[in-house]
Amino acid sequence: MEYLYGIVIFVGLYVILATSFNLIIGYGGLVSIAHPVFFALGAYASAILSRDVHVPVPLAMLAGFCVALVASIALALPSLRVSGDYLMIASIGFQLGLLELIKNVRFTGGPGGFSNIPPFLIRELGRESYVLLVLAVMAAVIALVWWIARSDYGRAMSAMRDDELAFASVGRDAMWMKIAIFALGSGLAGLAGALYAHYFRFITPDQFEILQSSAILTMVVVGGMRTTWGPVVGALLLEALPQAISFLHLPPSVLGPIQGLLFTGLVLLFMFFRPQGLVPARDIWRAPARDEGTPQ
Amino acid sequence: MQDATIILQILWTSLATSTYDVLFAVAFALVLKVTRLFNFAQAALMTIAFYAAFVVVQWLEWPAWVAFIAMMALTLMASFALERIGFEALRARGVSVMFVFVFTFMVSEFVAYLAALIFGTWPQTIFPTIFWPATLVGNIAVSGWDLPALGATAAALGAYFAFMRFTRTGQFMIGVADNPDLAALYGIDKRRIFLVTMLIAGAFVALGMFLYGTRAQVLPETGLSLMLFAVAATIMGGIGSVGGAAIAALILGIVQNASILVIPSEWQGFLLYLFLFFAIVFFPNGLRLPRWRKFKTATRDLPAPPAAPPAESQA
Repeated sequence: MEYLYGIVIFVGLYVILATSFNLIIGYGGLVSIAHPVFFALGAYASAILSRDVHVPVPLAMLAGFCVALVASIALALPSLRVSGDYLMIASIGFQLGLLELIKNVRFTGGPGGFSNIPPFLIRELGRESYVLLVLAVMAAVIALVWWIARSDYGRAMSAMRDDELAFASVGRDAMWMKIAIFALGSGLAGLAGALYAHYFRFITPDQFEILQSSAILTMVVVGGMRTTWGPVVGALLLEALPQAISFLHLPPSVLGPIQGLLFTGLVLLFMFFRPQGLVPARDIWRAPARDEGTPQ
Repeated sequence: MQDATIILQILWTSLATSTYDVLFAVAFALVLKVTRLFNFAQAALMTIAFYAAFVVVQWLEWPAWVAFIAMMALTLMASFALERIGFEALRARGVSVMFVFVFTFMVSEFVAYLAALIFGTWPQTIFPTIFWPATLVGNIAVSGWDLPALGATAAALGAYFAFMRFTRTGQFMIGVADNPDLAALYGIDKRRIFLVTMLIAGAFVALGMFLYGTRAQVLPETGLSLMLFAVAATIMGGIGSVGGAAIAALILGIVQNASILVIPSEWQGFLLYLFLFFAIVFFPNGLRLPRWRKFKTATRDLPAPPAAPPAESQA
């Protein structure tokens, strides 16, 4: 039963990650691969505050959300000041650089990881309560993104994404809207990280490497960008895939690369043969009309 | 206070080891200049180049020159495939910047995972050893790798700049880089120019990876870090300036290697990400050097002569 709870929690957390990433890349049109590092920041912040500073776990989880949100602003502000292209470059550097930092400082436990993270709810109310908590947060995140996408703000967001020049010409500030979208999406990833840390109670920098970036991107691309249910379908499928492979009992040195090949191979296949994903939205990959034919 | 000999030794070694950084930066900057693509698939080309040489030397036990030819041929073939199958299809479909980024990044990751599956995740080198015999010049140890690396890099850059300056194809590349649509109106075959650009970049990558793989250990994901260095140098050198990227890579390479004088070695890798961050925050348009060609520029900047009066007023 514990194994099943673990899988349900994993799926719930990946749905949060994929849905929040869909807000950034799908609805916001912002390219970043650093989503796992905000997941890591939330996990580490919440774990360190609750274990070493003795902050109550719910407050530490909230702090995990806030740390990821503030860090994402620190990344997006200088990059987006120049252009959206710089955000994608900066996000790679941010992801790898921050993981390097986590590995080299003592208070994070270094490459060996951070253990003995205080549990939440499990001792008092049992594992089922934590499963319900994760599923409730997952439902809330899906509802939040659905509501944002259909609100006035969501309409402004798609106007900004489709034609930034026209959007700016009516007096709206595209840069701050992008930063707000990026910060909210990254903050939600941080919250997912905090939830992860207090259930599994052990985190290492290796869990947040580029493989995770590929996995989350695959969930969104394969599921279908700019749709509510696309990332949910993607997360369910892509979480089921490694579980199915794990039954082959392959050594970890082979399992990791095979998972990576599946994730990246699926993205490439879908990009060329079904770019709209399993749950289709409009032609999401096409450049605005004035840029047609010249990808830059 | 450091001994002068130690400082000179570190500076010499830093200069020699920055050679492959320069080659990678030139490859990245050239593709960005001519095709306007952030080619993150360059990391995939690096991985292919290295493991091609590794197989020839370590598995087949053939000589180094065969390995160099094999890695060059395979990298050029991969560059050809990337341009013809990947980028050309993307251009035809008029996809967004986001699509191109995701595509190139996924290609790099796919190749890295493939390499990890085939060759394992432990570090490898092209030759069984990366220790080269050294000769003392004054008090400075010059290794058997240093001078050939510097010579090969200088020759490759010389050939590149001569190609761009003196050949029609080189001039066409500059034309396409400046204005692709205007270049096409003048009859320049953009498709061919894009392919030539990718092949030249592939050749730089293969040479750079040969130098790197004979001097340092390589993991399947090493290409990504090396490429990020090239990206930082390209931004600092000023996007569109291949020479600027080469100079920036040289300076960054020396700074990173010489940093061992002031910071612990485990933080050297972290410097790369600081460079990238500083490049984006403080030098998004590149480092601007003072205008030393003042008079020439001033002549060009003179106001245009007044327009001729309309024909009817002359009459």
